[in-house]
Amino acid sequence: MGYGILLPANFRRHKGSLTGIFILALISAAVIGTVLSLWTNGDAYIRSEMNRAGFGDITAWVSGISDTSELTAEIEGLTGIERVETQKLIFSDYEANGVESDSEGQLITWLPEENRYRFFKDDLSGYIEQPVEIPRGKVYVSPSLVTMLGVKAGDGITFPIARSGKNVTLVVEGFYEDPFMGSSMIGMKGFLINEADRLLMLEVLEDAGIDALARDGAMLHIFSEGDGSVSRLNVMINRETSISKYSEFIHSSDAIAGFMVILQNSFCALLMAFAAVLMIVAATVIGHSISGTVIYETVNTGILKTIGYTSGRLRAIQFLTYLIPVAAGIGVGMILSVPLSVFTADAIITTTGIRIPSTLPVIASFLFFTILLLFFSVFVLLCTRKTARISPMNAIRRETKSEDFNPERTFCAFGQCLNLRLAFRQIVSGKRRYAGALITAVMLAFFASLIGRMDNWLGADGKGMMEAFNPADHDLGVQIFGTLTAEETEKTILAYSEIIDSYWLAMPSAAVNGIDLTVNVIDQPERFHILEGRTCSADDEVVLTEFVASDLGVSIGDKVTLRADRGGGDYTVSGIYSCANGMGDNIGMNREGYLKIGGDIPQLWCKHYFLSEPSRKGMIAEALETMYGGDVHVHENTWPGLFGIISAMRVLVTVMYVLTAAFILIVTVMTGNRIILQEQKDLGIYKAIGFDTIRIRISFALRFGITAAAGAICGVVLAAIFTDPIVSAVMKLAGISNFSSMFSADSILLPFGVVTMLFMAFAYLVSGRIQKNDLTILVAM
Amino acid sequence: MKKTILSAENVSKSFGKNGAQILKKVNADIYDGDFTVIMGTSGAGKSTLLYALSGMDGITDGRVIFDGKEISGLTEKMMAGLRSEQFGFVFQQTHLVSNLTLFENIAVAGSAVRSGDKRSVRERAIELMRIMNVEKVKDHLPSRVSGGEAQRAAIARAIINSPRLIFADEPTGALNKSNSEEVMRLLTELNRNGQSIIMVTHDVHAAIRGNRILYLEDGKILDELNLPPYADSDAREREQRISQWLSEQRW
Repeated sequence: MGYGILLPANFRRHKGSLTGIFILALISAAVIGTVLSLWTNGDAYIRSEMNRAGFGDITAWVSGISDTSELTAEIEGLTGIERVETQKLIFSDYEANGVESDSEGQLITWLPEENRYRFFKDDLSGYIEQPVEIPRGKVYVSPSLVTMLGVKAGDGITFPIARSGKNVTLVVEGFYEDPFMGSSMIGMKGFLINEADRLLMLEVLEDAGIDALARDGAMLHIFSEGDGSVSRLNVMINRETSISKYSEFIHSSDAIAGFMVILQNSFCALLMAFAAVLMIVAATVIGHSISGTVIYETVNTGILKTIGYTSGRLRAIQFLTYLIPVAAGIGVGMILSVPLSVFTADAIITTTGIRIPSTLPVIASFLFFTILLLFFSVFVLLCTRKTARISPMNAIRRETKSEDFNPERTFCAFGQCLNLRLAFRQIVSGKRRYAGALITAVMLAFFASLIGRMDNWLGADGKGMMEAFNPADHDLGVQIFGTLTAEETEKTILAYSEIIDSYWLAMPSAAVNGIDLTVNVIDQPERFHILEGRTCSADDEVVLTEFVASDLGVSIGDKVTLRADRGGGDYTVSGIYSCANGMGDNIGMNREGYLKIGGDIPQLWCKHYFLSEPSRKGMIAEALETMYGGDVHVHENTWPGLFGIISAMRVLVTVMYVLTAAFILIVTVMTGNRIILQEQKDLGIYKAIGFDTIRIRISFALRFGITAAAGAICGVVLAAIFTDPIVSAVMKLAGISNFSSMFSADSILLPFGVVTMLFMAFAYLVSGRIQKNDLTILVAM
Repeated sequence: MKKTILSAENVSKSFGKNGAQILKKVNADIYDGDFTVIMGTSGAGKSTLLYALSGMDGITDGRVIFDGKEISGLTEKMMAGLRSEQFGFVFQQTHLVSNLTLFENIAVAGSAVRSGDKRSVRERAIELMRIMNVEKVKDHLPSRVSGGEAQRAAIARAIINSPRLIFADEPTGALNKSNSEEVMRLLTELNRNGQSIIMVTHDVHAAIRGNRILYLEDGKILDELNLPPYADSDAREREQRISQWLSEQRW
């Protein structure tokens, strides 16, 4: 009977704070559910689609081979290989809406009977049946081209097949889902075309001879028989077949899936960390709300004890009072995460290139629901311990223990800036009441500052990311084909900007201990971003990324065997460098070292420039392309997919600040209302002695401002200490090992200012009820 | 001819939409320099009248006029100004801000007048604490001092801005005899120096300090008793006279 009466009574009496608790639990669970859904579904969906579409365990991109049947037979003859499937394609640069892609595209013949790909509606809101055929002159592209190049249906995409303007322009018919290379994190892009168009391009290629810019090629999807090691298989294929003569690159399905999910995984990791922060904040606020209520209800608890209620029974009622809104909040939040996942998946489709299913991962969600509920249950139980300590008679006599406070240990609550002094006094004398707000401010400012530091590292133009992906810094890269010389192109560059410095870089492939990797060959090895050891100054030295070093099981001082088109040799690892290109699957060496095993093909080299006017690099690129057409390939220190990352980062920052504001609002409302209730006598006294409501409200808001400012300072200091180790751990997922945030006003002042101002503003709003406080309260007391 | 400082004109006060009417068209004048005492049975509406006259509580009908100006319709900000500069309050429960020291409680009230000079407020607070004999405990919190010390500090707080009128609601109600005596002595001293006081009490011994006693019953002022200014020598005689007058009122 007691439960039936007291539980509803508790709900009525504390409906404000219980609603706040419900909302906090709901937001935390909705964020966690959404992230969980995107994370698990994204990864699972890509892998299932890759399996369904038949992309194999390893895919080799080959070119310069007119008939792949001999090569596939060679591979299929190896032990452990089940079969090889071939997709014919043409490698070509591409350009859309005046933007030239930094990476090559792959024009793939689409065969409806293969049923490899799914096709999107024009507005990307769902799927359509696959077309009967792709009309000639039309092309289907990945939705990530929307972010990368601003492509929409009806736009033309130009593929320079050969010099002298032998371009082919195909019109975008629609979008398709490419689980293989659809993400904007992947530069190479697939274009589905009609076989007749591919044959036409092949004819152009054959006619062009040495003037050809595109290349005939194929994707070989290699299926293994068992669960053997893919890297061992890779080594075997490279060693025992002629594939190295034709291969452009070889990737395992794990590596490709990794490329595909890298972006959402990185952001999901950050959002999950943020959700954990929100949960800790929610738990803290709930804890303080319960403690405050236990104190507030001391007399009633005492009365109930005198009529025979045991502490255990009262705690059980309190436990249910708080756990029910928590459980309801988590439950509704989890359900809400389904539409939120749909919304988020829709919002990021032009970045991920795939439509991530929004089904709630039942087992993972149930597990999280249970963990969250257990976490909060233990928390609520701990917080209601005080109920057991309440003595009935002490409670009825209102003999409550006041907080220890010695006014001599603080400055006088009188003098200049009285409002501030009074606010400070309230905080010092009632510190426990503000602990929730303080912890909230610490956590939220910490995370806001962390994201701010990441945003700064990324930079407005993605410089941080580019430096992470490039082996060496530069403003502009110019690759020359044909008879053109660097001196000629430099004349054009000099018309816009002085050249401060330059160096040469080539990116051929080589087998390193049998595994095919990209080699960054440089004529000035001191430009590599060295993390450990020293750069590869001698011609028998190489530098590795820490990921390659780990994969190969080597460290500084060890030897690795390299094999390229002219031979092989042993090289000593002189250092560890950072270059996230290909998820860190690359090595670096100097020009002399490479020329011992590889051919010196002039077209291989790209000259990288540092400009006195880096802001003019766009104009320079345009001028060079206009002047020299297909004879130059110009790239800036950026790639189209970067804009997707930058915009995703901006969205993340916005979402985070919106959630921060929501949390601060709820925390301030819950804490503020309780403080007003507890201090209604003191507030009445201030009114009675002539303080107007505005002044009392300002002082009230200042209390939260001071608390939040103190918390925000701690938060930004913690962010300064912990951002690098935490974010570095996340960035390593993306092959970035050189993350290092820097001091900036944005990452300190913005979180500090936003958190402090939001607390103050919301506290001022909450204090509006002070105006309604009747002074006759003083008569009754 | 005494000057009227505060007037109640047909002041009524009800609680709730159809609730009980506590004050019923009360008409009263409070004179400058007087020590006015409101007495009456429990539930007669004494405190309600005090708070209605002081503007601490709203009224249902009628007008309250202070210094020739109606105050019953003033804005919250204007009322705050009035409370800080013209009125002083002494409550039964001292109602000192719990986390401010006695000095701070007094000085903060002085600072409620925005134009107040901080140094002069500080000096005045210290002076008042000396007069009220709470100087030694000036840095103590209200919870660490005796009820008498707290109430004397409350009186100091009430007068720091030299108000025209002090409202005292049962100022000795929570004090022992010696502390009550001391508090009343201080109020009498203030009145002797020209301070207007209006006090609610049910204690005849406290009421003898007044020179005008209003008797309230069932929300109406039934009668008043005028006395000469208080002198210690005639305390017993005043007490007898008031007791007799009250018994005539069937108190």
